[in-house]
Parts: sequence; C-alpha cells; structure tokens
Amino acid sequence: MEGAAVDTGGIIVVVNSALVGAALVATGWWLAHKPLSASDPSPRQNAGEAILDFFVGKARGVSRGPKYERLMGTVTPFLATLFLFIFVSNLFAILPLPVINRPPTSHFSVTLTLAIIAVSGTILIGALAHGPLKAAKHLVWPNPLQWISEITDVLSLSLRLFGNIAGEYMTLLLVVAVVPFGIPLILHVLGLIPVFVQAFVFTLLTASFLAAAVGEQEAESAETTAESAETSPEASTESASRDSEIRPRFSHRGEGVQS
Amino acid sequence: MNAVLLALVAVTPIAIGATAAAFAMRYISVSAIEGMTRQPDIAPQLFTAMLIGMALVEALCIYTLVVTLVIAGRI
Repeated sequence: MEGAAVDTGGIIVVVNSALVGAALVATGWWLAHKPLSASDPSPRQNAGEAILDFFVGKARGVSRGPKYERLMGTVTPFLATLFLFIFVSNLFAILPLPVINRPPTSHFSVTLTLAIIAVSGTILIGALAHGPLKAAKHLVWPNPLQWISEITDVLSLSLRLFGNIAGEYMTLLLVVAVVPFGIPLILHVLGLIPVFVQAFVFTLLTASFLAAAVGEQEAESAETTAESAETSPEASTESASRDSEIRPRFSHRGEGVQS
Repeated sequence: MNAVLLALVAVTPIAIGATAAAFAMRYISVSAIEGMTRQPDIAPQLFTAMLIGMALVEALCIYTLVVTLVIAGRI
C-alpha cells in the first residue's frame, strides 16, 4: 500500500470499537453501582441482575457437574463479553450519522479477532477444565487433523458475522444513496433482526464449542448439548421463575445426552 | 470486456448461493413451524435449533457473498 493512502474505514472502525468498549464498561459500572441490596434491590440493580441471569443461564447450560461449577466464573463473563460487544457493535449502524456510523463488526479484522478470541478462549477453558496436556491432546487425538477444525471454526465464525453485518450495512448505504428519506427506516427496523440473531448465534456456537471442549462427552453430542443449553431469546426479559420452570426439562435432555 | 466478464463472474456465485440457501432455509423454517404447532411446549427449544440451523445454512450463503466481494474488489 502507498504511504499516502490512509485507511479511513479502519480508523473509524477502531474508534467505534473503542467507543463500544467504553460504553459497555460505563454501563456495567453504572448498573453495578452501590448500594447493592439483596432484600430491596434498586431498579438499576434489578436490570443488571436480569442481564447477568441471562448469561448465567447460558453458561450453566454448557456443561454440568461439580468440575464445571468452578469454571462458571470464567465461562459466564467470557460468553457475556462476546455477546454484548457484538450486539452493541452491530447496533452501531442505526445511529443517524452519515459516515462514522460504520459498525466495527463490518470490518473483517474485528470479526477475525473476535473469532480467534472465542476459539482460543475455548481451548484455554478446556485446559482449565482438564489440564493443559489433555487439552493439547484433544487437538490431535483421536483425529490427527483435529486442529484444522479449530482453524475452520475461526474462519466460519468470523466470516459469518462479517458477511452479515457488512452486507447489511452495504445495503443500507446503497439504499440511502438512492432514497435518502423514509425507506431507510424500514431497512433499519428489519436490520434489528440480524443484529440480535448474529450476536446470539456467535455466542451459541462458542457455547457449543465450549461444550465440546469442557464436557466429558464426545464432540458429536456437543451440538445437542448446546441446543438443550439455550433458553429462548425471550428468556432474557422473563422472570427467574419461568427460568426455573424450564430448567428441569433441559436438565432431563442433558442427562439423556450424557448417558 | 475484462471488467464485464469479472462482473459476471462476481455475480454468479451469490445468485446460485442465495437461491440454494433460500431453499434450504424454507425447508428448515417449514419443519420448525410444523414442529412448533404440533408441540407448542418445546417451541423455545425448536426456535433455538432453528436459529442454529439457519445460521449454518446462512454461513454458506455468506461465503459466496465474500467470494463475490473479493472478485468485485478487483474490477
């Protein structure tokens, strides 16, 4: 590349991802602000706990057993950070600012980084669960080419997120260039669906890789475990009572898979 | 001439890929809705499974989109 050429898109993306990170940290700090109380929670604390509960439910569904319980403190923030960062990044395109509203996830570097974090984090958590030797053995045994699947996981995760968000953003730009008023609103509203679904799917697949790395069962049942692990998207807004009502049915399925 | 050829080559994968993915997604959503109407109890589980399936199918379509973008960048 010539020395004079400056990648403005890249600069915008870097600034935007820093903004997303700052916004998430500030919101988290604001939600967890003292005083916290178990008997009389403030609305702010309630909102924070609802979000936390959603991710604890997700992380709890990944695997089961006493060995896994002490990993919960690692798995929950891992999944929550991935989901929240991707979700808020994807939401960037709905800001009414012409050029600088480019979502960070519409740049391949960002999604590739996220996917590498997800897959290497999965391997690290697997090493925490079973020890580094067994985690390393998992890469070459029983299939000597098992490590290739980790690379394709990185590729498929990053390409899926990048393609969806970049495609959506590009469509938006093209439509705005032709009809600057009215019609983009429809696209914005429809765009909210992939914004949520892509962040959700990324977390879901990471959870299923985690289930394969952490669980005692073999990799082929990982997909099923992840499915049974997940509560529906609506569960985030519902109360904990509904959650506990769903849980037994899921645990049934989970046990069926393991046996 | 070369640019026209490249444009045609760029457009073909996404056309075929999107069509095939549309058929696959139709099959997934029809089966999921059938299952949900038969057993509304497990609708949340089916919905999650449907999302996973759709995401996996969509990924293939997205790969063709990436190929298209790469070729389109060369025009």
